[in-house]
Amino acid sequence: MTALVTFDHATLGYGHRPVLSDISFDIPEGDFLGLVGPNGAGKTTILRAILGSLAPMSGRVTVRSGLRFGYVPQRDSVSYGFPLKVLDVVMMGRYDRIGLGRRPTAEDRRLALLSLDHVGIAHLADQQVSALSGGQKQRTLIARALVGEPTVLVLDEPTNGMDLVSTTQILGLVRELHEEDNLTVLMVSHALNEVANYVSRIALVLEGAFRIGNVDEIMTESTLSAMYGIPVDVERFEGHRIVLARRGQGQATHDHA
Amino acid sequence: MLSTVLIFREALYGALLIGLACSVLGVYVVLRRIVFVGAALAQLSSAGIALALFLAGRQFGGVLTQHPTALALIVTLGGAMFFGLGGGGKSGVPPDATIGVTYAVAAAAGILLISKATTGEAHDIFLQGNILGITHADTMVLLAVTVPVLVVHFIYYKEFLFVSFDPETARTLGYRVTTWNLLLYFTLGLVIAFAMQFAGVMLVFNFLVLPAVTGLLVAHSMGGIFAIAVAAGVVASIVGFVLSVPFDLPSGPAIIATSGALALLAWGVRRIQAR
Repeated sequence: MTALVTFDHATLGYGHRPVLSDISFDIPEGDFLGLVGPNGAGKTTILRAILGSLAPMSGRVTVRSGLRFGYVPQRDSVSYGFPLKVLDVVMMGRYDRIGLGRRPTAEDRRLALLSLDHVGIAHLADQQVSALSGGQKQRTLIARALVGEPTVLVLDEPTNGMDLVSTTQILGLVRELHEEDNLTVLMVSHALNEVANYVSRIALVLEGAFRIGNVDEIMTESTLSAMYGIPVDVERFEGHRIVLARRGQGQATHDHA
Repeated sequence: MLSTVLIFREALYGALLIGLACSVLGVYVVLRRIVFVGAALAQLSSAGIALALFLAGRQFGGVLTQHPTALALIVTLGGAMFFGLGGGGKSGVPPDATIGVTYAVAAAAGILLISKATTGEAHDIFLQGNILGITHADTMVLLAVTVPVLVVHFIYYKEFLFVSFDPETARTLGYRVTTWNLLLYFTLGLVIAFAMQFAGVMLVFNFLVLPAVTGLLVAHSMGGIFAIAVAAGVVASIVGFVLSVPFDLPSGPAIIATSGALALLAWGVRRIQAR
């Protein structure tokens, strides 16, 4: 499959301080990749390099020409103090297509409504976005990303702070979008247990270390124990993988969130 | 009473223009939570005027000091660009602390400079301005500043909204967020610098905050908040001004008191709506 994004021996960092050194991997078309690691490990750094807001210190990050990202930011990074309706927020996903200084048309409105319908919240179009639940806000942001007709859907911590039901629903929706719309998906998360049961591949980022592979390759006791630096068990329960730090080993040299 | 008001009609026009422009920009100031940037810029503007008067008294500075607005404009726009670029947030000092430092230092510098200025417009300029002294020429200047600013904000409403609401996503869609922020702060600095010399720190700050808060309390859409903010700014200007003339009250505080009353009314309406 064609690579949409290629990291070629890229070293990423800020100023003169490298965060991740010499990483190489591809994101092929149709991939469902989970970028997993604790806060501060470098997930956002990789994300910024992909989205083009951070140039590598050395090596290359190549993004296929004409690629369009549908970005879903962390839910709480948005200013909910603005008195905006759900439809207004979704329409923003078309602003760059509408053009500078122009107003959205009836067609933009129709597409925004379709996008809301696609994520199952068309009935909330006229609601204030600030009044929605966490899961509904997340669906609104996903609808906004989809209305721009993206090649790659990029989600930053989509289930952060959500309860079990909302988490399952949002991850199920993302998987549906990947499978039914054949959308390439990059999902950033700190929750390995959540992501591992939905994605096809995992990129694990831990304190400067980087490892990428299929879920079966990454979700092994030897790989995870080596990456986390503590003994880790990987259990299977009704088709789900569950990662557990071996009891009494959590206070070793690492302190991950 | 009407004839008395008519004598000062240029002052009323000036107050209306300042109220209108500040109310529109104030919506972004309040929603972006940069209220004290407005106060700091107003204070910087007054320090600029004080510097011009100080230098003029010493026959120094040439053209810049003959027109205090020129120096106020330079200082205010410099501050606006600084805050538009993040207010030195990367230096490790929290942005709100930087705003506080700017406010305090600009206020102190202004008072120190004016106290040593030989040509004096006294301290009124820092607090109350001199709104009754607005001439026809001043109104024309205010018109020349506020109309282009409002036109820019009308045309690029969508862009200003997006970079204010969710700058991270706007950036991924190709928006030059820093440039838009600088344009927003530039228009803010421009309006504050010109408004300051007539309206004073207190009234400019009032127009940047209270009408937008009034709108935010009762409106349920961006269009609504702009409409109510503008209406509140205009009504406060007219009512405050008209009441101040026959009762021999200072116009600025009268307008501010009216703005406060409107905000209180909006709060009451919101309480009733919430029931």
